[in-house]
Amino acid sequence: MDFSLTEEQVMLKDSVAKFLADNYAPEQREAIVKNEAGYSAEHWATFSELGWLTIPFSEADGGFGGNVADVSAVMEEFGQVLVVEPYWSSIVLAGQLIARSTNDDLKSRAMPTVISGEAQYSFAWLEAQSSFSLSHVSTTASKKGDSYHLSGEKKLVLNAKASHFIVAARSSGDVNSESGISLFVVDATNPALKIETVRLMDGQHACNIQFTDLVIDQADMLTQEGDAYPLIAEVVDEALVALCAEAVGAMTYLYKATAEYANTRKQFGVTIGSFQALQHRMVDMFMATEQCRSLLVRAQCAILDGSEERSQDVAVLKAMVGKYGRKIAEEAVQLHGGMGVTNEMPIGHYLKRLMMIDMYFGGSDIHRRRFSDMRYL
Amino acid sequence: MHAKFSPEELAFQEEVRGFMRDNFTPDLAARIHHPKTFRDASVEWQKLLDGKGWAANGWPVEHGGTGWSATQKYIYTTELAAAGAPDVVPMGIKMVAPVLYSYGSEEQKARFLPITKSSDIWWCQGYSEPGAGSDLAALQTRAVRDGDDYIIDGTKIWTTFAQYADWIFCLVRTDNTGKPQQGISFLLIDMKSPGITVSPIISVDDEHHLNEVNFENVRVPVANRIGDENEGWTYAKALLTYERTALSGVGYCKRKLTHIRQLASQVSASGSRLIDDSDFRGRLADVEMEVMALEFLELRVLSAIDSGGAPGMESSLLKLKGTEMQQAVQSLQWDVAAGFGGISPDADDELWESDGNKARREYMFGRACTIFGGSNEVQRNIIAKFALGLQAR
Repeated sequence: MDFSLTEEQVMLKDSVAKFLADNYAPEQREAIVKNEAGYSAEHWATFSELGWLTIPFSEADGGFGGNVADVSAVMEEFGQVLVVEPYWSSIVLAGQLIARSTNDDLKSRAMPTVISGEAQYSFAWLEAQSSFSLSHVSTTASKKGDSYHLSGEKKLVLNAKASHFIVAARSSGDVNSESGISLFVVDATNPALKIETVRLMDGQHACNIQFTDLVIDQADMLTQEGDAYPLIAEVVDEALVALCAEAVGAMTYLYKATAEYANTRKQFGVTIGSFQALQHRMVDMFMATEQCRSLLVRAQCAILDGSEERSQDVAVLKAMVGKYGRKIAEEAVQLHGGMGVTNEMPIGHYLKRLMMIDMYFGGSDIHRRRFSDMRYL
Repeated sequence: MHAKFSPEELAFQEEVRGFMRDNFTPDLAARIHHPKTFRDASVEWQKLLDGKGWAANGWPVEHGGTGWSATQKYIYTTELAAAGAPDVVPMGIKMVAPVLYSYGSEEQKARFLPITKSSDIWWCQGYSEPGAGSDLAALQTRAVRDGDDYIIDGTKIWTTFAQYADWIFCLVRTDNTGKPQQGISFLLIDMKSPGITVSPIISVDDEHHLNEVNFENVRVPVANRIGDENEGWTYAKALLTYERTALSGVGYCKRKLTHIRQLASQVSASGSRLIDDSDFRGRLADVEMEVMALEFLELRVLSAIDSGGAPGMESSLLKLKGTEMQQAVQSLQWDVAAGFGGISPDADDELWESDGNKARREYMFGRACTIFGGSNEVQRNIIAKFALGLQAR
């Protein structure tokens, strides 16, 4: 049993924190979010120079050889300042789908461009009626010769400026079946794609994509036909842990910022932080953050130890982070009083981000149900 | 980053499991959980543990401790709870002993530590008073010097198991002039001393754990004082830290949740199972998820200790969250088991052993856990000050 960070992880965290301290003050972030892409291409290039994009990839693939704990260390720092560059969608989520692909030829073509940051892949999985179920895929893929014809719609695809989408489509099986799903790499400039950009409340630029008879060569399929589900489930589990690490970073910022504010804001001649009614609410924010941090450690260990309870542990983490992330941000707004509801104060931006993190891949209730279904047989 | 036990730790786990299987027999379990046989069965259990060298596992090795790592202590506590075995009654081994070996004289250590470890002496704690609960420093029990003795007058309350106790360790006022925390001394008092009266307080579980202890002109040798006069608060505070680093009850919560899942999985006459009810599943999952978090909160604290670090404020969260979760599982257990019958405190043997009666007893007894050892409201004040840097008015 050992939960301490390695020396490398401490150095990594420090270097990320230092860069962000210089480049991600609230007013700097505001300017970044206003960019056309919704993030800073310059920062993305710096992430690449600093080697951060290589972290979760194996040395054989040209990466740093890191694991979920290394990625989480970075994501937690990102969460402290609400980084908007597409690190999670491109490196942690889509990047791992490629890195763990069984299509070696495709992998060797795509991997170098992902690691360099030159290409940004994004996982297009969610459909309007899917209720956040990973196996619900109504998008169809019909084989014609050496290619597949894809038809369907995907919602809320992160990073509207992605260079490629990884589209989940079904070639066989019932609409909710885990078998029959394949993953296809689609160039975002393919003329058969209709892309509608949606600006999300947390500043991210996402898109809805729609396509009919989109022709994709079978060489651009990540697994054998119809057997992509285990890959999706494994990669999404790990990516959700990293996303929750970001949330824990944001929650940590919120309870600290709120205590700091309460120690300076005076009413009735005293600092409001001296009121017991407020103190106890801040203690509960702290306690909820530590509970979530504990589940983050639990889920990381489950992945690194190869535990059979991995999916349970991840579901619990996502459920609790969703619930408490929102709760803590709501409390932070309340305790900041009138200032808390202004867009000028960073607090509200953390609320928006934590609400979106809760929603991605299904909210707290959905993951609680997922846990219950695995646990209570 | 990993949560696996080493081969040595796994072997230790097996050893503890084997010991529990062989020694914590169903007969002993039944006696230790019945108020009529609790005292003798507790002594018997502690003697079994002491025979194995485990009773005083947290003590320094030179006094009979084990030198276990924090991980080993976790394994031990977890296996103890999994077997349904209670920990030793804490007043001796866990509460007075750390003060004795930290601040006691050589003579006091030699006199009290061995018999405390072997359970040949039963201790109770004389801290709270009718006018000094959460505000412990307001205590007023007086100790006036008379030659080589102190004369004690006053009242202690909520004294757990005073009816069985041979000795009581007390905080008494030896000086009234300074701040309330100054002028307190730490005394060991023989319960057979003339002038001590013990009166029972029946608690909401209809059982007799608590007492009021009156002192009227009780003569106590100065030699029974721990450390210096008027320095008792310092010693007691250190003891409270020991009490707080005692673990969170997560093992108990896990055992109870297993029991609740079993009860809820039984098929009712109508052919349905409670565990299939979506409202119930949601409530159960809410508690389980918190306990899963608590388990790793505790492991994080232990891992920090094992790596040579000091536990941070996470450890005071353990008491707070741990007791909240104990009550949460007791509530769930009641909801699941109340319908299983036998919820009268005067039940005959068969009903006494029923799930319903156990649920009643634990729920009612459990009301106290968020109050003793510094109420959870006081814990929140402490965390607000030390973890969040918030100033009291």
